[in-house]
Amino acid sequence: MEEKKFYLTKEGLERIEKEYEALKELKLAKTKGESPKVMHSEDLNPEYLAFQEDIDFLELRIIELENIIKNSELIRLPRREKQNVVDLGAQVTVEVDGQKDQFTLVGSLEANPSVGKISDESPVGKALLGHKVGDAVVVSSPIQTIYRIKKVKYHLS
Amino acid sequence: MKDILNFLIDVGRLKKMPRRGWVLRGIKNPETIAAHTFRMTIMSWVLCCKKRLNLNKVLKMCLIHDLCEVCAGDTTPYDNMLPKDKKQWKKILDKWPRLSKKKKEEFFLKKYRKERDGLKKLIADLPLNIKKEIYNLWEDYEKGLTLEGKFVRQLDRAENLLQALEYWKKGKKFAIAPWWIQIEELIDDPVILEFTHALEQKFHPKSER
Repeated sequence: MEEKKFYLTKEGLERIEKEYEALKELKLAKTKGESPKVMHSEDLNPEYLAFQEDIDFLELRIIELENIIKNSELIRLPRREKQNVVDLGAQVTVEVDGQKDQFTLVGSLEANPSVGKISDESPVGKALLGHKVGDAVVVSSPIQTIYRIKKVKYHLS
Repeated sequence: MKDILNFLIDVGRLKKMPRRGWVLRGIKNPETIAAHTFRMTIMSWVLCCKKRLNLNKVLKMCLIHDLCEVCAGDTTPYDNMLPKDKKQWKKILDKWPRLSKKKKEEFFLKKYRKERDGLKKLIADLPLNIKKEIYNLWEDYEKGLTLEGKFVRQLDRAENLLQALEYWKKGKKFAIAPWWIQIEELIDDPVILEFTHALEQKFHPKSER
């Protein structure tokens, strides 16, 4: 079976790699019976805390992160002639029910709809992919919603 | 122990605090924040069995996800949009609010800061290890930092949709569209999408469309 690809921005991949290195360090410290320095700091460290008592989950997360890194693909700027088409990394301006809205389309791992980053695996994300400026995209849950694409922009580094 | 008791007394206030979204829509005897947390935690447990996640972390995250509201109160995306004249509210509440990316970021940051400060105040006198655990779980939930954080964040919306559908089915006194529109943009977890599909079939049978 083909392994799932994880599409990430450069910043997103860096964050995953950082977490991976930190968890490996934590695992090493735990197997040596030490309490890693990071546990004593007041810094934000939810990843470490969740694994404080459970080495199995720590190992599971390390394997998961390894899999993400191995199967990651950086989101790249599309060719100039494709830059009016919605793809990963696109900032899309739409009009819905007479109101304007803006989304950036990202992979699931980086999605945060509260700040406008929507996942390409969400029903709206999936529906917008491949459409271009001027298209009207219909999303039907029980409620039919029409997303009219007004603008597509890419700001990838 | 005195500090722990005071914390628990404060947490108990959530048993009486109504969810603001229902208050705005004039629902009588609306569910409380604690009631939402209760069903969401059960939901996380029964849906988590279909996923490879740290259930212990997921359950704790559900339990603490709205603790900040003891001090910060409940916030809705409509809060800055509602005029004094309540007669105009229905028109606004019947639509899912649309904002520019910049406005979304501003709203998120403002809400995040208010709730973070509220949580810090609530847990200030707890023993350090539990204080750190609650705070870190909340940060994870709020920002969707880990797979568990992302899952619980989406569950929160799915429980809210279930409650909305239950109230809506009773009298159809408000528009259900904003919930569905929100769900279609927010949810990408396959298990939660399957759950929302089941909600669609139960509450919007094809015979009624």
